[in-house]
This record gives sequence, C-alpha cells and structure tokens, in this order.
Amino acid sequence: MVNFFEKATDYTRNAISAGKYLLQGLAVTFDHMRRRPITVQYPYEKLIPSERYRGRIHYEFDKCIACEVCVRVCPINLPVVDWVMNKETKKKELRNYSIDFGVCIFCGNCVEYCPTNCLSMTEEYELAAFDRHSLNFDNVALGRLPTNVTTDPSVIALKELPYLPEGVMDPHELEEGSKRAGKLPSEVLTNKKDKAPIGEQKK
Amino acid sequence: MITTLNIVFVAVVNTGLDLEISFNHFLEGIGLPSSIAHLLWLPLPMLLVLSAALIGVLVTVWLERKISAAAQQRIGPEYAGALGILQPMADGLKLLVKEDIIPQKADSLLFTLGPVLVLIPVILSWLIVPFGQNLLISNVGIGIFLWIALSSIQPIGLLMSGYASNNKYSLLGGLRAAAQSISYEIPLALAVLAVVMMSNSLSTIDIVNQQNTAGFLSWNIFRQPIGFLIFWICALAECERLPFDLPEAEEELVAGYQTEYAGMKFALFYLGSYINLVLSSLLVSVLYLGGWGFPIPIELIANILGQSANDPIIQIITGSIGIMMTVFKTYLLVFLAILLRWTTPRVRIDQLLDLGWKFLLPISLVNLLFTAALKLAFPVAFGG
Repeated sequence: MVNFFEKATDYTRNAISAGKYLLQGLAVTFDHMRRRPITVQYPYEKLIPSERYRGRIHYEFDKCIACEVCVRVCPINLPVVDWVMNKETKKKELRNYSIDFGVCIFCGNCVEYCPTNCLSMTEEYELAAFDRHSLNFDNVALGRLPTNVTTDPSVIALKELPYLPEGVMDPHELEEGSKRAGKLPSEVLTNKKDKAPIGEQKK
Repeated sequence: MITTLNIVFVAVVNTGLDLEISFNHFLEGIGLPSSIAHLLWLPLPMLLVLSAALIGVLVTVWLERKISAAAQQRIGPEYAGALGILQPMADGLKLLVKEDIIPQKADSLLFTLGPVLVLIPVILSWLIVPFGQNLLISNVGIGIFLWIALSSIQPIGLLMSGYASNNKYSLLGGLRAAAQSISYEIPLALAVLAVVMMSNSLSTIDIVNQQNTAGFLSWNIFRQPIGFLIFWICALAECERLPFDLPEAEEELVAGYQTEYAGMKFALFYLGSYINLVLSSLLVSVLYLGGWGFPIPIELIANILGQSANDPIIQIITGSIGIMMTVFKTYLLVFLAILLRWTTPRVRIDQLLDLGWKFLLPISLVNLLFTAALKLAFPVAFGG
C-alpha cells in the first residue's frame, strides 16, 4: 500500500514537472513573438559582404603577362589562358582569358599567386543563370565591376553581425555613423604610435 | 424597412434572439405559407455556418503562418494583400487549378472517397456549435455526443486514403492516424462525460447555459481543470497537430496519408484539418470556457445600465457580443495550439500510445469519478 502511494506521488510529481517545463517552453516561444524579425528581405535588402569576401573574380587584361601561374595553382586548372608566342618580339601575346564560374570553387588561389595582381576577388555573389555555359566568363565579362550593395539605390544595405555596435543584434534601423565593436586596424596602429612610435621601439 | 424591423422586434421572444421565428414571421407577412417559409429558412443557417467555417479556416491559416513566422523571428506572408491576408486564398486558388492526379496502381474509388470521408464529418459537426442561445443550426438532444460519434468516422477516411494510395508512407500514416484517433477518443469522451454529468444534458446549449450563471467564475475550466487539460490534449491529438502530428510527420513519412494527394483532394485534407482545429477550439470554448458567455453576465450589465434584458436592441447587442466572445475564445485557443506547435517536439508512436492509454485514460476515469463524488457532495456547485 505504501509502495502504491509512493508510486502515485512520483507519478504526479513527474506530471507536474513535465507541465512546468512545457510552460517554460511556451514562455520562450511567446517571448520570441515580440522580437523583431531578423530576416533580410533579400532582393530589397542585402547584407554588405565582408572585406575579404571571395566572390566573382575580377581580371585586368592589360596587366596579365600570361604566365599561367593561376592555372597551375588552381585545384582544377580552371583558367583558360589563350596566348601565342610572337616570334619577332619573343614575347607572349595574350589573346583571351576565361574562367568558368560554374566550376570555380572560389578558393582564391589564383588571386593569391598572381604575380602582377591582375586578378582580384569582388563581392559579387549573384551568379544565377538559366544556362550554365553563360557562367563561362571571358576577359571582357571578367573585367566588369559589380554593382556595389551600398551604392545601389534599389537596395537597402544591411551590416553583417560582426560589423554592428556592441550589443546590437539587429541591422535594421541602425543609427547613422554607428561603429562596430572594437577598434579598426588603423586605430590600433595610431594608438601604438602615440604610446611608443614604432621607429623608436627598435632603438 | 421599418415594418421589417418591427416584425423582427416582435418576433424576439423571451428566450433571446431567434432569427428563425422572425424570418418566418416576415415571410408569412408577405403572404407565403409557413411550410414554404420554413423551407426557405432551412438552407440559410447551413450556408452561413459553412461559410463561417471556411472563413474561419482562411483566418486560421493566415494566423498560423503569421504567428509561426513571429515565433521564428520571420515576417511571414506579406505581399498577397495587406499583411499577406490573402495568402490562404492564393494557396486555395493554386490547389484548385492544380492537376488532379490519381496514381496508376492506387484504388481510385477509395482514393477519391478518402478525403471526402475525412471532411464531411468535420463539417457536419458544426451542426451543434452554438454561437448564442438560438444561434446554431440545430439544438439536437444528443449534442456533444453527435460530435464524438462523427469524429470517429474520420480515422476510417484516413485509413482508407492511406491504404488506397498504394504507398508505404501513406499506409504507415493511415495506420498511425487510426491508432491515434482510437486511443485518444476514449479519454476525450470521458472528459466530455464529466462535463455532461455536471450540466445534466448532452446539448451544447444547456452546457453553456449551465456555465453562465455567475459570469466567468462559473465556467467549467474552474470546476474541471483536469478535464480541460485532458480534453485539450486529446483535441490536439484528434486534429493531428504537433506534438501529435505523427500521421503526417514530414521528416519520417513524407506527408503520411497525404503523400500521394495533389490538387483539390489535397485541399480537402488541408481544409479538413484546419476546420477540425477551429471546431475543436470552438468546442473547448463551449465545454470549458463558457461558450458565448461574457466574463460578466450581460443581464447584470443591462440591469446596472437600467435596460431590460428583453429589450430587442439589447438582445441584438447580446447576440453579437455572444458571437464575438465565442470567436475570441476560439482564436485564443487556436493561438495556443500554434504556440504549442513551435514549443513541443513530436512524440514517438510508443510515447503517444503510452500517453493515451497509461496516462490520460486513468486520469480521465479518476476525473469522472471525482466529478461524480463532488456532484453528490456539493450539488450546488457541481450541478446537482
């Protein structure tokens, strides 16, 4: 009989605690309802890509020396460097350059190793196309600069989470001129100069 | 116009606003025989309740999407109408014009009959939902029992469509739906029985009237708190809503018994599940939250304001407040169901059956016995 009552009290206690946890969960869900949506309304709002964003590759035809380093460092030898040897001047003459962004993995090796810095990463990521062959960019397409999110009048540019002021989680309705948490690299440098100029430190 | 109003006012009798009598009086005043007047009256409340159910579903779908979005810090539908209010209409229209596919190896007769058999009992159950003293299609004597009886037709339809689809997911979903409905119907019926015992009647009208003697203090939720919880859990299980949505658990069963359905047949399932949700919320508010009753008795307010409760205008106001109160309570419960959807994880099938048979059934039996004892001990408070 005592055993039965123990069981019954255990049972009730379990049921009550389950109910309590359920109410706790409901309170959490309810609390979320008054928070502002954190979604970015994509075609109308866009996040500003970070400084080191690895988007579509930009290429400057005139700087290129057709050394093919980009091809060698590419994991799949993707860039097509079409050049001919001019026997009179004994120099390479570049005729065409292309990268297929349907295949590119945006690792950035080519950009890293390019000796003349004719390759660079842009912040363009909207590469959707109806035909995958149209993603094969030639030197003209590669030379185009993307529209900047911050200068596009039809887009509201939003800052990414690490670029928001301390404690702010929501990029909407930021105050004008609000700065990210922490110091910019340039500020860190000037601070160091104030304390002990780098030149003097060495002495 | 004035004569019409007069007829309406004359027809308002002591029991409250009765539109049927006033309508018949009006038609007889024009010169029609009473039988034809009755015939003309019959389709009106049916159409009204049907359209009310459909509009209720549209609102519920919109609410579901908006509240879900808010709970997940999203915006939800926004561009179809103001605040996306037309989104359910757009969804419905899309389903209406979609191709109707019957799988080649499916049993086409049962496949077509399934969704119909799911939807019809749900719509039929609206027969007994009262929005006011005389504002229901039919005050049948067996009232709430009719709903319990009708709701046990539904699993047959679900099993039928699951079996006829000739698909393993559908079959599993259908079997789960049947198992779930059967095991949750019993505690549901026992919870209802406790309420019925207190009001000495199966009629929904009597159940509500019995609760509205002293405003919100006499609502059944205070006399039957455990019964209320049991009923709500079982109602969620009957509607196949989370945490009891195993029959259509999309992560494991694709869409359960709905897997092979498209177009209008899928729309029937969709409609059925939402009408069922609204209906269950309505019945919870009828059985436990005082139905159309205002938290403070309207007669009391009318007396304080020096108005007679039998005054035609007061009766019309009372009627509209009653409808508003019913709808308000219902949507409060719908809101709770949606909130629960995003709070609770889905239970496993063995946990579901454990909860039904080993927890809810004994508790509801104890609740029933306890109510009977209280009714004998305190006949004043527990409807002697």
